[in-house]
Amino acid sequence: MDQLILLLPVVPLASAFLIVLAANTRTRVARVSITAASLTFLLTAVLLGLSLSGAPTQVFTPVGGAGAGSLIFDPLSSLMALVIAGISLIVHVYSVRYMAEEQGYARFFALLDLMTAALLVMVAAADLVTLLVAWHLIGVLLYFLLGQDTRSQSAYRYGFWTLITYRIGDLPLVLAAVLLYQAFGTWSLPGIFEAIARDPHIQTYFGLPLAEVVAALIALAAFARSAQFLLHTWLPYTMEGPTPVSALMHAGIVNAGGFLINRFAAIYVHTGGVLHWIFIVGLLTAVIGSVLMLTQNDVKKSLGYSTMGQMGFMIMECGVGAFSLAIYHLIAHGVFKGTLFLSAGTVIGEARQNDGVPKDDLYTFVVQRRPARSRQPWLLMAAITLAVPIVVLVLAHWLVAEDFFQKQGAVVLLFFGWVTGAQLLFSTYRMQSENPWRLIALIIFSFTVVVLGYTMISHVFDVFLYPDEHFRASIYAAAGIDLRWFDTLVGIVSAVIVVGWLRAYYAERNAGVKRPGPVWLNLYALFSREFYIVDLYSRLTRSLLSISQRLNVWLRWV
Amino acid sequence: MSNLTYLLVGFFLPLFPFSIGFNVLFTRVNHWPLRLALLLVWPQIGLALLARADVPPPHWILTWAMATALLYSLRLLAMRELGGWIAFLATAAWGLLWLLAQAPAAGGLSLHALWFSLPLVMLALLGASLERRFGGAYTGIYQGLAQGMPRFSAILVVTVLAAVATPPAPSFFSMLSAFLNATPMLMLGLAALWLLWTWAAARLLQGLIVGPGNCRSQADLKPSGAWVYTAALVALIALGAALPGGLA
Repeated sequence: MDQLILLLPVVPLASAFLIVLAANTRTRVARVSITAASLTFLLTAVLLGLSLSGAPTQVFTPVGGAGAGSLIFDPLSSLMALVIAGISLIVHVYSVRYMAEEQGYARFFALLDLMTAALLVMVAAADLVTLLVAWHLIGVLLYFLLGQDTRSQSAYRYGFWTLITYRIGDLPLVLAAVLLYQAFGTWSLPGIFEAIARDPHIQTYFGLPLAEVVAALIALAAFARSAQFLLHTWLPYTMEGPTPVSALMHAGIVNAGGFLINRFAAIYVHTGGVLHWIFIVGLLTAVIGSVLMLTQNDVKKSLGYSTMGQMGFMIMECGVGAFSLAIYHLIAHGVFKGTLFLSAGTVIGEARQNDGVPKDDLYTFVVQRRPARSRQPWLLMAAITLAVPIVVLVLAHWLVAEDFFQKQGAVVLLFFGWVTGAQLLFSTYRMQSENPWRLIALIIFSFTVVVLGYTMISHVFDVFLYPDEHFRASIYAAAGIDLRWFDTLVGIVSAVIVVGWLRAYYAERNAGVKRPGPVWLNLYALFSREFYIVDLYSRLTRSLLSISQRLNVWLRWV
Repeated sequence: MSNLTYLLVGFFLPLFPFSIGFNVLFTRVNHWPLRLALLLVWPQIGLALLARADVPPPHWILTWAMATALLYSLRLLAMRELGGWIAFLATAAWGLLWLLAQAPAAGGLSLHALWFSLPLVMLALLGASLERRFGGAYTGIYQGLAQGMPRFSAILVVTVLAAVATPPAPSFFSMLSAFLNATPMLMLGLAALWLLWTWAAARLLQGLIVGPGNCRSQADLKPSGAWVYTAALVALIALGAALPGGLA
């Protein structure tokens, strides 16, 4: 039964070919494509069922194949395949009517099917050549999906940003694959993982440790695919493609970085410093993405930066060793971001008739930005804000793993939960409400439900994806730093959080109307210009084109 | 093999400035069957000469070949005439054959040369077809081919992608083989080169197929012609998959 995985890419591929060859009406195109997408989804559901029931990991190589083209059936591939097939099916169904009046209907569905096939091959690839082929193809197919309207120069211009960033990310993966092949003489992923487990300290060029170099290259590939800082500019600007493509991109394709790091977990477990860099890049991206999201006045760009922030958080989770949590995060993010994009049109349509926003406390606070006139004692609220989230978080984590305090990664993530919970409660302090204590109680209850759900589900993911307890502990250990340094950092960050929130409450209590100073204004200008990164890249591009032109003129175009 | 012989080979597996020879010849020849023959035969002559050497080419030649390939890849970005574009890409791609000749068993070299040449042959055919219709094959002049000539555009897109080593075209596997035979510095050169090819391909396609479509008066490729091109592309990909150049 688990050989069904070989059928996964075949069904959407067959659909794409059938559409090109035989489907001559829009109805037929839609029927063929939807049938294939449904069948693929059913197949993935069966495969995940098999995996959950304990079917062992297996590698399938096509008959007569010499290694390339092999697919792996394991918990990670079966779970990711279901997610991809699910999102793909939703996007297919949505597109049937959404694209009805667009040109190139058949081309769109054929490309969508090819993209589904490429994504499924990527998550199930059992050798480096297959992975590289799928990884490359995704960038190319996305370029043409984003440029569905062949009349639009701007769609292609921004699609090109995506293509070239993806290609920048493809190349480190090629280099990593080549180094691994040179070291072990095989393209097979399980073969490579076994070999590196036997000799984790093997060296590559210049006496550098192979595991660290390869892990760094794979991280670079993941950064480009998941729009990490400095490789992010394509994401907020590629909004000219059709909405279903935006949904597919933000819900599925952009998450590939998290998947890639998980696929190579067996290499990351033998590294140290690389995971720290991954954490720093993820953290920087999460912060910058969130800041840029808040400063944009274009809703679509704001959504793009929101995805960038989420991707930063996902990569950061990998950096602290919480690999399976990153998978859970990418699925959760995919579902809610896909919903946002696909429902955007309906919401805009309805808002034109009636904004539908209830004139209640939330409206006066969020939309009218009118804070409450009467408030609870600030010191009491500050104490609740600081104490309640941390108690809830610690209890939730303790429920799933009593020794979670031994895992540095879990403690780091605890801090993020703490700050988020505190932010939530701080909002209630500023909000108008007839019954503030009821509001606080409801918010604490919601927070507890979310934290419990998040902790439980992520624990289930952890056990499912990495059943070997020793391996799970090894990933956390690889991401760890010296204990004395860690304890010192925990102390400093805790103090900053406590003092910061106390100061925030005190300042809020005694706030007057202040004009922003020149520093804030300059900072705002910097944010609104998106750190001038796009301008910098544009200038670099123009310079290279100018050099190319001058060379051709000097050499008489031969 | 003497250095002089290497320099002679450098005319056929282009090393700058000897590469100018091929480029002048290709752009001056207006007879398209001759152009196709040049694309197919030129690198094979170089390989035949190279086969007489008992030892792999020295490192200085590899560095020279890589520099040549990078130079022509960079120049590809600003090239707007399809014939010149094909010649530059051929020059850059054939330079990589020096790297592939490094392998202990370089028996598949002719195949690698073919994998690089065949998509360019098809592109030259498409270019000839454009010249017949419009009097010239330049980007940015008659934008929007996709609107008026969808079949032709689809074939053009796939051919250009195959030419710049996009998987599953066999040239992709040749590129991988080149990486396997390269030193770290040459690997970085290869990575830069591949990036430039992608950029140049995107510029070429955007200049030809994207736009409002001012060429509706011109006839599209006939279905039978499109089938022939499709069959040729499928055969190319199938052959590449069957003979991946010693990767597996």
